[in-house]
Amino acid sequence: GIDAAEDLVGSLANSCLSSSSLQSFRRFGNTLTEHFHQLQPWHKTLKIIGAEFGTSVLSYFIFLKWLLNFNIFSFLINFGFITIPQFLAAEPNNLSFTGLELLTGAGYFQQTVLYYGSYTNATISKVENSASYNMQLAYIFTVGTYFVICFLILLFSMARLFSRNFVNPQARSVNASKLLCTWDFNITNEKAVKLQQKNLLTQIKRQSAMLVLPVIVSLLNTLIPFFFSWLGHLENFQTPGQHIYVTIIRNIILKISIVGILCYYWLNIVATSESQCWETLVGQDIYRLVLVDFIFCLLGSFFGEFLRRIIGTTVCVSLGLPEFDIGRNVLDLIYAQTLTWIGILFSPLLPGIQMIAFLIVFFVKKVSLMRNCQPPCKVWRTAQMMTSFIFLLFCPSFLGVLSVIGVTVWRLKPSEECGPFRGLPSMYAAVAEWIQMLESYTAWKWVVWIYHNLISSELFFFIISTFVLVVTYLYWQIIQARRTMTKLLHNQIINAGKDKKFLLQKLQKVQRSKRSSSALGGRGQQVSLTAQLLLFNCLVQVHGVLQLCKQPAGLGKGCASNFI
Amino acid sequence: MRWKSKPPCSQKSQEPTSLSLCLRLFHRYRDLAPQLVPLDYTDKPAVTLPYELIGSMPELKDNPFRQRIAEVFSEHGDGNMTLDDFLDMFSVLSEMAPRDLKAYYAFKIYDFNNDDYICKSDLEKTVNKLTRNELTPEEISLVCEKVIYEADVDNDGKLSLADFQHMIVRAPDFLSTFHIRI
Repeated sequence: GIDAAEDLVGSLANSCLSSSSLQSFRRFGNTLTEHFHQLQPWHKTLKIIGAEFGTSVLSYFIFLKWLLNFNIFSFLINFGFITIPQFLAAEPNNLSFTGLELLTGAGYFQQTVLYYGSYTNATISKVENSASYNMQLAYIFTVGTYFVICFLILLFSMARLFSRNFVNPQARSVNASKLLCTWDFNITNEKAVKLQQKNLLTQIKRQSAMLVLPVIVSLLNTLIPFFFSWLGHLENFQTPGQHIYVTIIRNIILKISIVGILCYYWLNIVATSESQCWETLVGQDIYRLVLVDFIFCLLGSFFGEFLRRIIGTTVCVSLGLPEFDIGRNVLDLIYAQTLTWIGILFSPLLPGIQMIAFLIVFFVKKVSLMRNCQPPCKVWRTAQMMTSFIFLLFCPSFLGVLSVIGVTVWRLKPSEECGPFRGLPSMYAAVAEWIQMLESYTAWKWVVWIYHNLISSELFFFIISTFVLVVTYLYWQIIQARRTMTKLLHNQIINAGKDKKFLLQKLQKVQRSKRSSSALGGRGQQVSLTAQLLLFNCLVQVHGVLQLCKQPAGLGKGCASNFI
Repeated sequence: MRWKSKPPCSQKSQEPTSLSLCLRLFHRYRDLAPQLVPLDYTDKPAVTLPYELIGSMPELKDNPFRQRIAEVFSEHGDGNMTLDDFLDMFSVLSEMAPRDLKAYYAFKIYDFNNDDYICKSDLEKTVNKLTRNELTPEEISLVCEKVIYEADVDNDGKLSLADFQHMIVRAPDFLSTFHIRI
């Protein structure tokens, strides 16, 4: 580690002490290694944001970067597996391009690879008698695989964050950890540091006031139980997190209702109407929604941050600079990603558009943050908020998308005249037909067997569900047992501490008497020997208690009491 | 990287630090005093930068604990750091250091009198640094008592390393806040 680095630096320096050209080469090599680390996307930007505004605001940008990766991945696989083959079998586009299409998504774009409708249902083969490319299967398997991978990534991220950030949600050491563990060492901006200090000061003062009040009440000696319950009730609401949570929940309900109503409209009304190519119509709707949402996000930044700063510094100076509203912004991101996920089936290149939108949002938000906002006043429990956001991304958002996609693929009839699934009774029928075709090949019999007995068999899913439920129940019981064990061990530690204190006091007493009796003579020595044996026995027993982690219950009562 | 005065908990966790981080830290160290720090470290020169230079780094100059941080990581506990101390400091404060190690050093930083316990006087000094000396003595005393009451598991009136680590486990933000990006 350090020695290797020292040697490298030393040897590099040694080898070019005299020659200036070698020196510049060395300098170039060093600069290159330095910059390689900083090529990690936006490393410097994130460092500056973290330094000026703290980890809570930084977590919004890290979440945005994380969502961007989902879109990049989706765009790449859709483009690679669906769009490029489509280019080989493309039909010429008869419509003309006017600028309006960028806003409406209709017109010229309707027959481009942007939408489901223009994809062929043929089996593409460029050269005769060579491997052919079944567009139907490619479409359904690409989208399906992407969603399975997303599901796994979200599930594992959530599980990891839950286990790390919700370890033992006892409110026991809230104050201690607030004091000793939440000081943000990242912040290097003097003003932000002062703000953190002021915030902590206010919290402590509030708490101390609450603590001083019961003293006054007991002095007054009236309505004591009422006051204590009122105090406890007040203390629950003192956390700034409560207000934020309520706002966020209202926001979530609103957005879920909007998306729910839209999906109902698309799946029940548009899909069953007699229109030409309903998937493309839905795709266009989603394109417009994504675009408008993006524009509103930028407008929100403009009004919420830029104009608010102008107002706060010129017209109404008491308002001051605005703060970066983390909750609202993260929910906007989740909403945008939900729309994109719904739209992947109907418009395979939509993630590419969302990717560009997210990039622009990143830069706009960063600039707006630096110019217009001040560091947050409230203390955010960042790790827990981020876990909640990813949980929101998974639970109503991703699972909702999965159910919409499920209904579309299994229940709805694809339009007759366009798209890769034209003429089939449902999109899933493409897979069923493929399996039927495979039955005639003996080499692929195992695939057919898996399909019939594992994927489309109800008995198998029943068995799997029962198994999962049993395992969950067992794990739940294990957690309960561990919780009990933790409580017992905690009591043991407390009792061991009491024993230690008692023994120390006894030792001090014995030493004092030894000192006084050594003035008197020999008898003191006899006493001290007995005392030492006593002490030794006790210490052995206490040591044994601490070692006996496997044995539960009542050992920790304290051996010292036996010797009293 | 080797860690100064090995903590009892994580001697096995020798994380492989990237070479580029080492080189960057070396250049930052050298930039503090280019006339004192040679480019050639093969003879292991005994160069120590005084605390005033370390404390003037932009990453540390506004941190209320900068003096304690420098003292904990310096060789003789006086805040003057050699290159080894400097590298140790920033690697413990980097995102690659494990939680146990960070908890150990955070404990040492808050232990102002270096007696391996965070006692009430240490807590009072910590609170003063965190609130810019603007609390009354009664409020400070109240806060310290509350903290000790909550976090002291073995009831000896002060926080040992084990108590501190037990508290860290319930503070999931600790890993991200006890971190300086360089």
